[in-house]
Amino acid sequence: MPGTYGLFDVISPGLQTTVQDHPGRPGLQSKGFFPAGPVDHLSFRVANVLVGNDPGAAGLEIPMGRLRLRVLAETSVAVTGADGSGLTLNGAPLPLWETVRVAPGDEIACSIVKGPGFRLYLAVAGGIDVPVVMRSRATYTMGGIGGVEGRALMKGDVLNGRPVPDPARLRLPMALRPMLGNNWEIEVMRGPHADPDFLTEQDWKDFVGRQWKVDLNSNRVGTRLDPHRFAWARPSGGVAGGHPSNVLDGSYPIGGINTNGDVPVILGPDGPTAGGFTVIGTVVHAGLWKVGQLRPGRDTIRFREVSLDEALALAQRVDYTTDPRHYEEL
Amino acid sequence: MNAIITESPARGDRPAIAYRAAGDRHVLVEYGDMTLDLELNFFVTSVSAHFAANPVAGLIEAAPGFRSLLLHYDPGTISHHDLLAAVEEAHDVQPPVRSLVIPSRLITLPIAFDDSESREAVRRYATTIRQDAPNIRDNSNIDYIVEYNGLPDREALYATVTGTEWWNAYTGFFPGLPFMFPLDPRNAITVPKYNPTRTWTAEGAVGIGGPCVAIYPVESPGGYQLFGRTITVFDILARHDVFRDDPILIRPGDRVRFERVSEEEVLALRRDVLENRYEYTIEDDPFSVADYIERSAGVRAEAEKLGSAREAAVAKTEVP
Repeated sequence: MPGTYGLFDVISPGLQTTVQDHPGRPGLQSKGFFPAGPVDHLSFRVANVLVGNDPGAAGLEIPMGRLRLRVLAETSVAVTGADGSGLTLNGAPLPLWETVRVAPGDEIACSIVKGPGFRLYLAVAGGIDVPVVMRSRATYTMGGIGGVEGRALMKGDVLNGRPVPDPARLRLPMALRPMLGNNWEIEVMRGPHADPDFLTEQDWKDFVGRQWKVDLNSNRVGTRLDPHRFAWARPSGGVAGGHPSNVLDGSYPIGGINTNGDVPVILGPDGPTAGGFTVIGTVVHAGLWKVGQLRPGRDTIRFREVSLDEALALAQRVDYTTDPRHYEEL
Repeated sequence: MNAIITESPARGDRPAIAYRAAGDRHVLVEYGDMTLDLELNFFVTSVSAHFAANPVAGLIEAAPGFRSLLLHYDPGTISHHDLLAAVEEAHDVQPPVRSLVIPSRLITLPIAFDDSESREAVRRYATTIRQDAPNIRDNSNIDYIVEYNGLPDREALYATVTGTEWWNAYTGFFPGLPFMFPLDPRNAITVPKYNPTRTWTAEGAVGIGGPCVAIYPVESPGGYQLFGRTITVFDILARHDVFRDDPILIRPGDRVRFERVSEEEVLALRRDVLENRYEYTIEDDPFSVADYIERSAGVRAEAEKLGSAREAAVAKTEVP
């Protein structure tokens, strides 16, 4: 491609590292595409802003770490997200949440993320140059499109970029950094299928009152929680199926808490677009980034119910963090 | 706080409507009761076409389900209040469902019944996941579908599949996967899904789960009982011209008619598709709801009789 040049040589690809952009591919759900894009939209956007990019530019999502890249060109990068990854530049600690200049021959590496948090995000000045497929560069694993050939990175991949002027060096102040932990509180709104017609009032109280465990079998498609027996307000799903969690198929919202029998699953950006199970609650935009930092098999969640007005106010506060005017210049 | 934002009873030509909260960027609009009434889906199709023709600033998409639309909106562009007002307005200008003539295409697809790839998917399932599944006989789900519906034999099932047009109520789950229902009520069959699900299904496999027939657009896991294989319905690489502007063949509101061919033929046709030599049979054929209602009424008695025979068979058949 004209104007592109090699940025990184992938020495070790990590577990399921993908190229993502934000917000991915909204508006294609009626064709069966969920939006893809980063699971933690906040850390991802901050990384881009730190290197002078549009907040949605294409960067890397690195679940669980273990990535090694050789730098092929002089440029600036920023890494954000999970703690405890042992991130280094040529063996010396590389600070998260700030702009870092890199040069050809440098090596960026991290080990297995110890947490708190689960995913790292790496942005590079000018963004990663992969083809736009159906309006976006985001890798959509379910459809096998976007990113590098529709798949996670492999050893030997070369990621390209475009030359851009050096961005200012910035740092996200501590006070603005997303709070990572092991026991999370995540904001939800009730519904679309909650009490009184699908769940009992007590079911909803249990849902928000209970501490949920994040199942090991969680990924970009969905975050599975531990099974819980709801009482349900209906004896069965009627024409839709035997179990009261069954409904006539409809489209699902991203962040929807899709309850398949006794197992709630938070639908991720690569999730199924539609199906025949109740969505009892929906994680609001301001809470959605946290889902990307939940450690499978380790972390716990308490859901906190918010109103629409609260959700919108919280979203503004989260988006405040992506405004570089609040960043420190280095 | 209530999951239901507002509800309105059926009035005039409008079905009952419930607006349900789905977070701060989505609203789920549900129509009518939870019944398998295709007229509700025709209404959904009509409202979604309305939004396609009359875009509402800030409404990113209205994604259909069987009897619902999921509205995805940008709260920075349109307030919740204005969104609901715009949707109400759209509902109010909908003509009566029975007067609708829905833009639709009739797509004829070849199908080979009891093909070897579907048998292979079932064989792998029986070998690696569940050996004692009641929905498997001789590496196939076909006899189970036949028995569950009280059909006399396999030929009767094949005739049921080829004897009606299948209405694509919506597309989803995977990219390009059509969820189809029979337009002739006499051909309504039903079958429980796999338990647990299958990890592999061939691209192009055709199966049934509940009352709904689906074509697998890509190689994927799945839970429907398989009975045949057709040609490509999704190709992101657009190796055939039919996918040049859209990787998805079957849109919501399209109909599919299956034409029986041998397995050899379907494999040859699949090669022709890959080599861009096949000519897909697609006719623009607007769908008149009034005609549908009239035809359905004409066969209702027969359909109900068949339906009760099926229910009797269901009671005698084991569920996976």
